[in-house]
Amino acid sequence: MSRLFFVLPRLGRGVFTIWFAVTVTFLLLRLLPGDPALAVASPNMTEEARAALLTQYGLDQPLIVQYGLYMWQMLQGNFGVSFTQSVPVMDVLLQRLPWTLLLTFTALVITVLVGIPLGVLAASRRGKVLDKIIQVIGVTGQSIFVPSIGVLLLFVFGLSLKWLPIGGAYDTDAYGMDWYGSVARHLILPAVSLMLIQLGSYVLTMRSTLIEALGEDYVTLAKANGLPYRRILWKHALRNALLPTTTLIGLQLGFLVGGAVLTETVFAYPGIGRGIYEAVTQLDFPVLQGAFLLLAITVVVANMLTDIVYGFLDPRVKTS
Amino acid sequence: MTSLDPVNATPTGLPVSSEALSAEPVAESGRAGAATWRVFRRDPLGIISLGLLLLLVVVALAAPLLASYPASYGTDVLRPPSLQYLFGTDSLGRDVLGEVIWGTQQSLLVAVAASIIAIAIGTLVAVIGAYFKRLDVFISVIVDLTLSLPVLPLMILIAALIGPSTATIIGVVAAFSWPEVTRLVRSQALTVVNLPYVDAARLMTTSPVWIIGRHIIPAVTPVIVVSVVVTASRAVLSAAGLAFLGLGDPTTWSWGRILYEAQQSGAMSSAWWLTLFPSIAILLLVLSATLLSIAYNDARNPRNRAR
Repeated sequence: MSRLFFVLPRLGRGVFTIWFAVTVTFLLLRLLPGDPALAVASPNMTEEARAALLTQYGLDQPLIVQYGLYMWQMLQGNFGVSFTQSVPVMDVLLQRLPWTLLLTFTALVITVLVGIPLGVLAASRRGKVLDKIIQVIGVTGQSIFVPSIGVLLLFVFGLSLKWLPIGGAYDTDAYGMDWYGSVARHLILPAVSLMLIQLGSYVLTMRSTLIEALGEDYVTLAKANGLPYRRILWKHALRNALLPTTTLIGLQLGFLVGGAVLTETVFAYPGIGRGIYEAVTQLDFPVLQGAFLLLAITVVVANMLTDIVYGFLDPRVKTS
Repeated sequence: MTSLDPVNATPTGLPVSSEALSAEPVAESGRAGAATWRVFRRDPLGIISLGLLLLLVVVALAAPLLASYPASYGTDVLRPPSLQYLFGTDSLGRDVLGEVIWGTQQSLLVAVAASIIAIAIGTLVAVIGAYFKRLDVFISVIVDLTLSLPVLPLMILIAALIGPSTATIIGVVAAFSWPEVTRLVRSQALTVVNLPYVDAARLMTTSPVWIIGRHIIPAVTPVIVVSVVVTASRAVLSAAGLAFLGLGDPTTWSWGRILYEAQQSGAMSSAWWLTLFPSIAILLLVLSATLLSIAYNDARNPRNRAR
């Protein structure tokens, strides 16, 4: 029962955020210069087909009615029809979504796996050379433009050393286990690019929260009790410092997805980001609108899950 | 223990924010400014990044003197860097050095313009929210929601609909950068409005405009300075991202556009100089801005002055 009371507000918050995303999109499309009809219907359609779509979205109606109709269409997952492929946007995007999910999830996992130990290392050698080096790497990583690091990795490991494939998500001639192997090989470079730009935030947050935790009374007490430093660091201080780092995942998801859009473009990775790049070239507005909304929903759902898992990990959240 | 409210929970995204938030919420007087400068100039990292930023500004301003505008097509196509073409040439035979130099102008313009707009809106929203507590709930919800959405795809949608131009990029980047400024400034402003001197000011005048303008904004100025830098460097990355996807101004050179054209011509991975030089330019600008804000924060922190 208490779990239900814990989960429900977070679900509500998620729904509210998605509502906000849809509303912002609606308002921006209607209030900014540019033809809002472009977001659902191509100027190259036949007159009747276009008129039918415009009526369906109520673009001839007052703003408030338009808003209601827009909401209703979005609720049904009806994001309009792609200009270039003449199929519902949702169908186009759902084919691409799994690749984006695979890429961002892998990047997130390796970022956490590399970032937390580096942060711990920096905090435990506070002020020493190693700490400085790790901090510099963290700050530099945050300043890198994702496509830059992507092309660099592609050039070194793909073209020069020929260790890894230079683009796409799988080998077209591979089947069975080989196919999974090829998916993994194609994933490495884009995921590492995304990791490198994310790493800094995790390392620096981990470092500062751990330094804070190491100054707490329970650490002094543990030291006074003669516990080995390693054990205090990894078992006592780290456990407490991990919590704010978990919150960071939620905050960084938006950036991660933005980075994925650029990374997929560099590596011709068949996810939503590459879809966005192609849609920009062809001015396929319904795809762009659908891509934003779908990515927003993805981020919100992921955030909600992190939040709920976090709550189960930290007993204080559940009770408060 | 840190609160679980994601807005205030952690030093998010950039390392500078936590330092900024822990700073003393007191307006910097002339003497304190001088003390900050005395500490700052002894920090080699801060001085180097300040120098780099100034260098980039000089390059941007002096672009017409340094290189002719790379518009026409050349005969030397995709030449690697040589004495004649220090940064090589692109697939249409244009000088990459010229493109990078002229791109500096565009990138700095976008960064400065977008961050000024974002700072103005963000600060105003933050201090108004802090002062009028009733609005604060509403404002913090909007900031919170915007920050949790993937803004790059939204920027792309809007930039594509309005049509690519420098003004579009500045507007779009500014429109989605102010919530970050509000988040940074708000937490500082919330401490300031509760200080005794603000209560005293309330006794002197009933004008919230006066109190906010005279007492609250000066007190959050250090945070604003830091967020100018942070916002500007984010703006550089966002603008480069938009240009890289083909939403840059097609009539002006920007670092993102060099990368976009390299990608479009298919020469991106083989002609390494097409990516390397604009990438270094982006990295130098963003990194020096970030390091400058860290150095400024360190210098401003009284705890570091004793040494």
